[in-house]
Amino acid sequence: MAKRKSSGNRSISYAKWGYIFIIPFFVVYAIFTLYPQILTIYNSFFEYYRDGLTIVGPRFVGLDNYKTLFATNHAGYVPIFKFLGNTIWLWVLGALPQFVVAMMLALFFTSTRLNIKGQQFFKTVIYMPNLIMASAFAMLFFSLFSQVGPINQFLISSGIASKPINFLGMQVSVQTLIALMNFLMWFGNTTILLMAGIQGIDEALFESARLDGSTSTQVFFNITMPLLMPIFIYVFITSMIGGIQMFDVPQVLTNGYGIPDNTSTTLIMYLNNFLGISKNYGMAGAVSVLLFIITALLSSIVFKSINPNRK
Amino acid sequence: MKSNANRSAEIKLLISRIVVYAILGFLSFLCLFFFYLMFVNSTRSNAQLQSGFTLIPRENLFNNFYNAWHDGDINIPVGMKNSFIIAMTSAILTSYFSALTAYGTYVYNFRFKKFVHLFILAIMMIPSQVSAVGFIQLAFKYNLTNKLWVLIVPSIAAPSVYFYMRQYLEATLPIDMVEAARIDGSSEFKIFNEIVLPIMRPAMAVQMIFSFVGSWNNYFMPALLLNKPDKKTVPIMIATLRSADYSKFDMGKVYMLMVMAILPVMVIYVILSKSIIKGVTSGSVKG
Amino acid sequence: MKKLLSILLAMLMVFSLVGCSNSSEPAPAPADETPAETEEGKVLNIWTWNVEFWDFLGKYYADEIVDEYTYKKGDVTIKRTTYPSDGGAYQDALDAALLNQANAPADEKVDLFLAEADYILKYTNSDATMDVKSIGVTDFSNTYKYTVEAASDANGVVKGVSFQCCPAAVIYRRSIAKDVLGTDDPAEVQAALDSWDKFNDVAAQAKAKGYYMIPTTNATYRVFSNNTTSPWVVDGKLNIDAAIEGWMDQSADYVANGYTAYTSNIWGEEATSEMFATGKSMCFFGPAWYFNFSMGNAQDPDKGCFGDWAICQGPQAWFWGGTWILAATGTDNPTMVADIMNTFINNEEVCSKLVSEDAQFSNNQAVNAKFAADESYGNAFLGGQNDTAVFVELAKNIKFQNITSYDQLCNEGLQTYFQEFLDGNVDKETAIANFKDYIRTTYPSVTVE
Repeated sequence: MAKRKSSGNRSISYAKWGYIFIIPFFVVYAIFTLYPQILTIYNSFFEYYRDGLTIVGPRFVGLDNYKTLFATNHAGYVPIFKFLGNTIWLWVLGALPQFVVAMMLALFFTSTRLNIKGQQFFKTVIYMPNLIMASAFAMLFFSLFSQVGPINQFLISSGIASKPINFLGMQVSVQTLIALMNFLMWFGNTTILLMAGIQGIDEALFESARLDGSTSTQVFFNITMPLLMPIFIYVFITSMIGGIQMFDVPQVLTNGYGIPDNTSTTLIMYLNNFLGISKNYGMAGAVSVLLFIITALLSSIVFKSINPNRK
Repeated sequence: MKSNANRSAEIKLLISRIVVYAILGFLSFLCLFFFYLMFVNSTRSNAQLQSGFTLIPRENLFNNFYNAWHDGDINIPVGMKNSFIIAMTSAILTSYFSALTAYGTYVYNFRFKKFVHLFILAIMMIPSQVSAVGFIQLAFKYNLTNKLWVLIVPSIAAPSVYFYMRQYLEATLPIDMVEAARIDGSSEFKIFNEIVLPIMRPAMAVQMIFSFVGSWNNYFMPALLLNKPDKKTVPIMIATLRSADYSKFDMGKVYMLMVMAILPVMVIYVILSKSIIKGVTSGSVKG
Repeated sequence: MKKLLSILLAMLMVFSLVGCSNSSEPAPAPADETPAETEEGKVLNIWTWNVEFWDFLGKYYADEIVDEYTYKKGDVTIKRTTYPSDGGAYQDALDAALLNQANAPADEKVDLFLAEADYILKYTNSDATMDVKSIGVTDFSNTYKYTVEAASDANGVVKGVSFQCCPAAVIYRRSIAKDVLGTDDPAEVQAALDSWDKFNDVAAQAKAKGYYMIPTTNATYRVFSNNTTSPWVVDGKLNIDAAIEGWMDQSADYVANGYTAYTSNIWGEEATSEMFATGKSMCFFGPAWYFNFSMGNAQDPDKGCFGDWAICQGPQAWFWGGTWILAATGTDNPTMVADIMNTFINNEEVCSKLVSEDAQFSNNQAVNAKFAADESYGNAFLGGQNDTAVFVELAKNIKFQNITSYDQLCNEGLQTYFQEFLDGNVDKETAIANFKDYIRTTYPSVTVE
């Protein structure tokens, strides 16, 4: 820090280069992200959609879109709340086992006592699903778990089931499949991050704890976990923000319908529905604003967790 | 007595090792099984697929490949070309310009330096979907749908890549080095391109890989902006498989298309897995 | 030049509109008078959602097939733009293109586009399509009346033609019919299936023999939705017709009694797997294009059951699909557009080949009648049955009625959400409420109560 300051004094005359170097970023950001974001918010106060070949609006309607957004629908619930609930629930279903398993694996891999061989292989394998195209992953599960797909073929030929199980029609199985896919895609990533965290802890702390006669459980709760907290919070919050944006997997698996009974419709799927044939910029804008508020709250938490010293 | 305790500790260790390897084996199996099944099914004809479950590949790999490659509705060669163009150019742009921006806020002192840095960190977590509505509206208004560059150019402003580059710079680039180069009379751009970039090569490589994979797999925005068959990317094509219609009754072909969608990234992964896994940790957070 | 052309075209359109209101007599073919003939665009853009018509165009109209997306006819390049139909993607893209038609360069303008009955009204009732009589398509004497009605706007101005007529039938497995009814003769099977009550009785018999009556509850959907007495949207409000209710009741009944193999999408892997020889479903529903192009599993050389099929009229007359070719306002190739239309409805040779070589039911009554009377003509897939003869009878009863531009997603949505009830996931009220909510989200302009 001190070094940077001293060099800073000498480089005052170069200040304009600082601006020049960051110009591309900010020009592109302003045009392709900031302006569209402002437009999104602006849209949310207008009635603006397409009805076939006719464009309706834009007509200023104040908060009407938000009123519609929070209105009870025909099935007797407020869609946006249900879909927010779905999104969180689907995230929890995948993330909870993800954290538990990842923490377990990170402890295994870093344990000098266990001295796991073939770590590179296991890490390579468990990280692999993270790189799979989510839409292809979902399409794969759709094909594998269809009523005439390989999984049902196996269940029937092995006598486990007497008739095909409609995995893609039942809430339990659809949600489980979505959670399983999210789990598979992310547990390897989390394991690697947590491992790095554990490896960053001073070995001497473990050593002295062991000399004190602490059990491994005590070591975990008294040393590992507290020191791992910052990185764990980081992983947790980024996973949550990723979860809020969940789209590809349920969209492709349920063909956008969120079957059954809209129990796998996520916030972004709802947003996507408004951007379909009617190009309902008004309502889509309102959904986006809500999404923005939710993530702004979450990211302010992550911001604090990354920079705990900065107040 | 002592040796007994030792032995029981050894047995304990052996048991826990067995349990741990069993868990690792099971999780590895979970990670590989579905993709293995996909591969096997991509080697079977539609009729064979109907005749039951098997783990043994059959002889229709090339047949399915031919059918998938020449499908009239899903033009996968074009999709792969489009995906590749978007993913490759985005990867280059995002790593170069993020490094440039990070260098700009790290090396130079200017009035809004701190604000700029904090601003980029603050916008890092805003999901891209929030700008989608306005973005699409603009794209339709200015006739920018079905243009690949519309999906490429925004990658110049990638806050999370910036964050990674900035951390990497802080860890690896001594300011003295820049100053020494200045004394030698190098221009600022020359310093960045010829001295700083080589130092940042590992970071750039990692970010290029992640950016490439991210773009290759990206579905939400491309699906809203690209609908012309000759402009579609692979994920859009894969998603249209899900919407059933009469042309998709050949499941062998469907499995093959999925294999083709995943394969390029898998090839990259097999070659570069070590540095990719290293890359996961190095930029995420300060230990 | 372009400006002059468009003025000429506009004048022609006005002229033809005036002409129409003056008399309904077919005007003398003005094709030769079209002054644009010598100075038309070099690129003709056709919008489609699949390659069916495109392939016919290549076979019977183009001079040269350049590649999958390009043909040549004279010095004009014919280009195809295709979007998938599902979820309204095709309509969505087409709408955007037509809205932009005035600004698009001549070579990128939509000249000709295809539309289905489900949403044709949106285009015929708009300025995006033009009166085909004005460009020289005037002879509708041999086409089926409903195909002309479907392509006409509210004032009766014809905006396009169909190259096929799509009366639809019950497509049954001969071997299963023999086992269940003791006969596979189309006339006798028809006698057993000529009302829904009888159809349901046979379903019970089929069940007793270990068969399913239908592969999926969605199979009969189109028969009901084609015989509605009111449209999906009345005065801007969503309306569920009694016929749709009838389908819901039948479906619930069939699921409860085990008369149906699945409840899934007709195109899905489940329903189509019933087309294999191992399938246990007796009756499929569809027009000529369905059994010729969409029953691939039945035609599979290893596991199919080619020739084990036959058709009969079934409980109710209906049609399914049919592809209309509409002329887009602003086309710079009016002569060729008209020429293509005339070729596929009035060129006897082409229409005959559509029947004999492509197993289509053409939109030319004279040609169809010829094949219906030809005893040597038969469809091998149907065990040699003369399908044209069946369809000629069926086509007489087709009604084109109660159509709105919202139909595609209303039909898709209702089937998807009602399936959740059939699968036992929700009660009927919830299923319908979910459907209504889907319409509310999809079509802000439709009021849902």
